[in-house]
Amino acid sequence: MTEAVFQKERHIKYFLRCLKTFLPSLYTSNDSNRVLLAYFTVAGLDLLGELYNKTTSEERQGYVEWIYHCQVPSGGFRGFTGTDFGSERRTPENEAWDPANIPSTFFALVILLILGDDLSRVKRTECLQWLSKMQRENGSFGEVLGTEGKIEGGGDLRFCCFGAGTRYILRGKCGDGLEGIMDIDVDKLVAFIEACQAYDGGIGEGPFCESHSGHTYCAIGALTFLDRLSKNHKPIALLSPKTGPFESLVRWLVTRQTCELGDDEEESDEEDGHGVDEIGPLSATVEEPSLDTKVDQLPVVPPETEDSLRWAGFNGRCNKYADTCYSFWNTASLNMMNRLTLVDATRNRRYLLEKTQHIVGGFGKGVGEPPDLLHSYFGLVSLAFQGEPGLESVDPALCASQRAVRHLHSLPWWQETKR
Amino acid sequence: MSGKYASDPTWASVEPIPLNDGSETGTLPLATIAYSDEYLEATSYLRAVMAANEMSDRALKLTDDVIAMNPAHYTVWHYRVKNLFALKKDLTEEFEWLNKMSLKYLKNYQIWHHRQVLMSSRENFPTLPPNELDFLMKMFKQDAKNYHVWTYRHWLVRHFRLWDEPREIQDVDLLLSQDVRNNSAWNHRFMLRFGPRSDEPDGGMPNSTAPPPEKGRLAVVDEDLVDAELEYAKAKVIKAPENRSPWGFARGVLRASGRPLSEWKDFAKKFVQDKVEDGKVVDVEVKSSHAVEWLADTYGEEGELATAEAVRMFTLLKEKYDPIRKNYWDYRIRMIAPATWSQEIPTSA
Repeated sequence: MTEAVFQKERHIKYFLRCLKTFLPSLYTSNDSNRVLLAYFTVAGLDLLGELYNKTTSEERQGYVEWIYHCQVPSGGFRGFTGTDFGSERRTPENEAWDPANIPSTFFALVILLILGDDLSRVKRTECLQWLSKMQRENGSFGEVLGTEGKIEGGGDLRFCCFGAGTRYILRGKCGDGLEGIMDIDVDKLVAFIEACQAYDGGIGEGPFCESHSGHTYCAIGALTFLDRLSKNHKPIALLSPKTGPFESLVRWLVTRQTCELGDDEEESDEEDGHGVDEIGPLSATVEEPSLDTKVDQLPVVPPETEDSLRWAGFNGRCNKYADTCYSFWNTASLNMMNRLTLVDATRNRRYLLEKTQHIVGGFGKGVGEPPDLLHSYFGLVSLAFQGEPGLESVDPALCASQRAVRHLHSLPWWQETKR
Repeated sequence: MSGKYASDPTWASVEPIPLNDGSETGTLPLATIAYSDEYLEATSYLRAVMAANEMSDRALKLTDDVIAMNPAHYTVWHYRVKNLFALKKDLTEEFEWLNKMSLKYLKNYQIWHHRQVLMSSRENFPTLPPNELDFLMKMFKQDAKNYHVWTYRHWLVRHFRLWDEPREIQDVDLLLSQDVRNNSAWNHRFMLRFGPRSDEPDGGMPNSTAPPPEKGRLAVVDEDLVDAELEYAKAKVIKAPENRSPWGFARGVLRASGRPLSEWKDFAKKFVQDKVEDGKVVDVEVKSSHAVEWLADTYGEEGELATAEAVRMFTLLKEKYDPIRKNYWDYRIRMIAPATWSQEIPTSA
């Protein structure tokens, strides 16, 4: 069989179309995530190495201005301009309806970095002050600050990750100019994240929730951000090889790679257990002879063949089908844990390029699905991790090109020359 | 604009605030969406009532409209809650509306968070409303692995202290009898059986904040319960030996109770039988690749004498039953038998 082809030119066209023309009205249900969509668009073109070739410096300046337009007067960024009722109308009574949003703040900052902005107009101290108000008693973060300073939004790991990421970008290596600005409680955040690891080694949305690759990424992302800034911190088990938490998570992550793509009707009931069985209280004691007999009657598992294994994407939870974005969430987590080489890169590449890469450019969620911004970007990043020619190398935590990361590290509060 | 709000006398007193995407101040907006006129109009009125901090029936109705078009809007939900409580609305009606929305937008965070916010009102819901669990089962009929619904149900268990309510485990049993691969149901089962009660510290596994090996281990073990859960898992393994969920569940149960993996060694061996001719192993008959993995781990724990057996199991996985994870099985071999690795296996990229 011929080797799969990465359609670089088509992806460039796809991302340019998203950048320069209106997204279809279908995206209205994602209106409040416009900063996130903007991030996918700009970062996607950057990864393809075309951001600076296909846009003029005036255009890039215009994009930078729009991001600053999303900055909230009290620090942080909103997720879209739709909540902005005008600074002249803004009062302490109504500002909760136009709040800064944790994930959007992180993505706005990353976009600014990709566009080469020096963050000089970011309300840095205000933003960090707001950030420490967003942390709950149990160590987790909320999404927005509501009325009466109440922390609103689910208590899940997404907000922990992007809170820690925002702190990473704005606090920097030396925390310059932040004397007297309260920091978040790092120990509490670490403890909360560690408590989200489930019995199977994966990490769920919150304590005792089902392991999920997206949340696992957020957990490892948050810990990586914290770890990169800490100087004398006690080691974090989830980031320490040979500890139980680390190795059980590695096992869980590599187990996510699967040939079950959900594109074949037969796949769902290939085995014995999908049918409905008799409903009734199961006897607590199964008689030993009958157990043996039952095992004797079971069929032998046929060894895998090259044909059955040609494509292997990733799922996000045990016993689910592969999905393009999980090729990212899982490999990014393994990448941050320095264990990326444990996956089957060849089969992941084939899955992405032969099964979800779309003819018009971009990637769909599953086999034969139309492309969307999220899956298109994450498809690219997963390939970039594996060194796909034509793609820039990516930092798995910041999830932006190494060029953007170098730019961040050149900012004043990242210089360690003082003292 | 002459939309439905502009022509409605109820809204005559309100001056809508149009979207300010910054075009007038020299910005070049990113991720621009081809909005419908209806959405643009409704959100213009929403900005106006929000700016005025208005709490009213018309504002509440407006949020219906905006949510129907953009259920992921993160402040419209908070604003709706504020209105509901300010106007002392009957929350039964709200739940009827919410149920319809939930069945329509299956994958939405905000809807389930909103449900949790309302349900946490002790004043309105001192105890679990009778139809709540029925509705969740209705949701599971649409998608038995819906993450948001399971997370909410988990919260519900903790909020109303339902760990030992018979209905919880009955629903889990029912869902597992319908699909033994439903890992969400397995996870809920683990939480019901081994999750911390009341005010004990919360964690994804028992004793989660302790350092290893105490992490994941229960302080007090109900051995009968542990035995029963292990038998339950065995019965489910037999229904679908290649289903990873019960094998993982059993690992968690053993760790929680401080028992070794070797407790299931004989059980796992039933699925991995050596074919012996003239006193030599000529082939292995495998009925579950997870049993091979279990044995590999068990031998690995047994120490040096069993290392060769562990390596044999890992090799079986890597060469025959799970070649996708070849690199991982090599990694495991390297960890338990570095010598074997350097002598026999060439390093690959």
